[in-house]
Amino acid sequence: MSAVLDRAAARQRPATAGAIRIKDVVKIYDPNGAAVMAVDHCSLDIAAGEICMIVGPSGCGKTTLLNAIAGFHSITSGSIEMDGQLLCGPGKPMAEPGSDRIVVFQNGALFPWKSNLDNVAFGPLMQGKMSKKEIYEKARAMMADAGLSGTENNFPGEVSSGLRRRVEIVRALMNDPKVLLFDEPYRALDSLTKSVMHEALLEIYYRNKVTIFFITHDLEEAIFLGHKVAIMTTRPCRPKKVLEVDIPHPRDYSVLTSKRFRELLEETADVVHEEARKSFAAGEKEG
Amino acid sequence: MDQTSSMLRHNLPKQDEVGGPRPFDAPSPVPSEEAKSDYLDQTCALLRRTLPFEVLPEQMLRAIARLTRPRSYARGDVVYHRGDRAEDIQVVSSGSVNHEMLTPDGQPMARVMRSGDVFGWAAVLQGPSERLAEAVCLERTELLQINGEQLIKVIGSDPSVGNVVMSRFATMITREFSAPADVAERLRHPAEEVVDRGAGVVPSRWELTRYRIGQWLKSPNPYLMVTGFGILLTLWYLTVEVWRLPRFQDLPGLTVVVKEWLSENPTYGLSIYTPEYYEHIWVSVRRVGIAFLLATGLGVPLGLFLGWSKTFREYVFPVFETLRPIPILAWVPLAILMFTGAESPVIFLTFLASFFATALNTMLGVESIDESYSRAAYCLGANKWQVFREVVVPGAMPYIFTGLQISIGVAWFSLVAGEMVSGEFGLGYVINTSYTMVRYPTIIIGMATLGAVGYVTSALVRMVGDYMMQWRVRELALGGQ
Repeated sequence: MSAVLDRAAARQRPATAGAIRIKDVVKIYDPNGAAVMAVDHCSLDIAAGEICMIVGPSGCGKTTLLNAIAGFHSITSGSIEMDGQLLCGPGKPMAEPGSDRIVVFQNGALFPWKSNLDNVAFGPLMQGKMSKKEIYEKARAMMADAGLSGTENNFPGEVSSGLRRRVEIVRALMNDPKVLLFDEPYRALDSLTKSVMHEALLEIYYRNKVTIFFITHDLEEAIFLGHKVAIMTTRPCRPKKVLEVDIPHPRDYSVLTSKRFRELLEETADVVHEEARKSFAAGEKEG
Repeated sequence: MDQTSSMLRHNLPKQDEVGGPRPFDAPSPVPSEEAKSDYLDQTCALLRRTLPFEVLPEQMLRAIARLTRPRSYARGDVVYHRGDRAEDIQVVSSGSVNHEMLTPDGQPMARVMRSGDVFGWAAVLQGPSERLAEAVCLERTELLQINGEQLIKVIGSDPSVGNVVMSRFATMITREFSAPADVAERLRHPAEEVVDRGAGVVPSRWELTRYRIGQWLKSPNPYLMVTGFGILLTLWYLTVEVWRLPRFQDLPGLTVVVKEWLSENPTYGLSIYTPEYYEHIWVSVRRVGIAFLLATGLGVPLGLFLGWSKTFREYVFPVFETLRPIPILAWVPLAILMFTGAESPVIFLTFLASFFATALNTMLGVESIDESYSRAAYCLGANKWQVFREVVVPGAMPYIFTGLQISIGVAWFSLVAGEMVSGEFGLGYVINTSYTMVRYPTIIIGMATLGAVGYVTSALVRMVGDYMMQWRVRELALGGQ
């Protein structure tokens, strides 16, 4: 694996786009007439090409933040910018969803009625920027690159869940996105599959320099993958501690047993645990 | 198995005193059921991490896991030599193995295999199965061995899966082992060996449908079906003609009805030899057909828009829900007032019930679609209309076809109600007039024909649904349904 990673790292190009600036974002939900503050003056800077891991207890409002960047939800105040361009902010409560920021969903959102290949080709087909032939050529090439050849004509329901996640990531990368937004995508996977998926994700990352905004509640996953780990407070959501992970990339699984990894884990475990207890005491719904 | 070769020691210095092959994880000679299922779980998890097997559905994976035989090797043990007979493929469970092949120009080419790697693929090549490489354990190593013949048999049981596994073996051989392409071309094709299905990796829709019908005929289900009908007919015969039970004695008996039905010169004027019989069937089928098509053509779009647009639903749904519970018979007077002639009121009544069932189920189908799908589509650059076409319509399809099944059923139901009220032809008309004219066997002929024709139309709708939703058929098939 590590040889593959080294080769991939050698090919990587520096990221020039995809910097995200979250500034003083507030989100207040008002579902039952009683205002609930989901996000409270949250500020976070993510550099272009950085893997930023968002760690927090269940229901803390991490997903609200992701939905605001993706353009699924509005924000109450504050602003979110990408490469200096306003996504949402004063006068524009909701960002436009677009293929420069693609979400990989918690339960996976490959269309079960389309073959894996048609799923991968979906984005460019909708945008109509290339000819059909070019699109399918590119889709086949990208799937082969990710070790998915042989499954093009299968429907997502016919292959394993780990494989589905990979197809979904390839579907996103087909559009040359600037940012990939992961909403706890590996939550439902068993730990063995998860470890394989982590390495696969890093391999993909080294080849396609994109910014990654990755939500998780698994601290080890966060430190293993991230350049930066933002530990969020329980609702309302705000960064409590932002950790710069100084373990050099490319990383492989030997990192998990390294001394530095253990130190970073110890440094942050207490903070996460404290927030988890608060969240538990408040009886937050999982989600 | 490469029994003799594995006993040979290589020249590496001995460190590990565990010598010779022995089964691992087997404290007692007969493993308990629990231990067996644990072993299968672990093996499946390992196979999931291998390139050729990672894509397999769970069931197939377990079948392959059952073929595996664990074996331990010590450092320096030779798994096989070049030229040995190749019978098993090898999956590394733990440890490491040095795999050394010769390139066409005679250069040695080594690769270290670790947990999750697969080698020994000469066992699934065509032609003389000789080992092309030499495999030596670098430390204490546990391997799972799978007999090549048995593997081909198992993956060949589902040709589309078999072809995928083999094409992944091919990728692995050329990419990871840098073996020349003609080696990969020697891989066996399980699908072609079991049944000759041509080169297609995935069977076409029609092939799949035909295959399913073939499977159904081979299963015990058709015979159970015949037995069920047999029991019904026997009970009818016994209660009416043999035991002459009270309440049953005035009913037409089985023999009378069958004789009448098959008679060339029927007493009451209706049998399979009279043209009127087919005219009645044709008239009813045509009415149901027109009503069903109208109901589908109007009900599906209405349901889609009801589910898709919140505003549209606010306008329409309350009206819809007020009209829906009104029984079809209550519409009869209005139908006669609105439509002139004998034909259109009956079609209108038939249409009405179908329409409500179709529209409601379609709406529920749209509501059932996970929001992530439309969000994903927007992310990927789709506009509103594209989301409707690519996500809303196919996503609602399973519910739409459930609705159409119900719809064709209630169409027959309300057709008979309509035909009993007005009309000069049709199966409902036959049943009603036969009663007033005391032609009792003809009543049963009408009823049985109605049942049979209804069954056929319903099966047709189901077949169209399966044909249009291959993704669902395959998903369910993998779940063993």
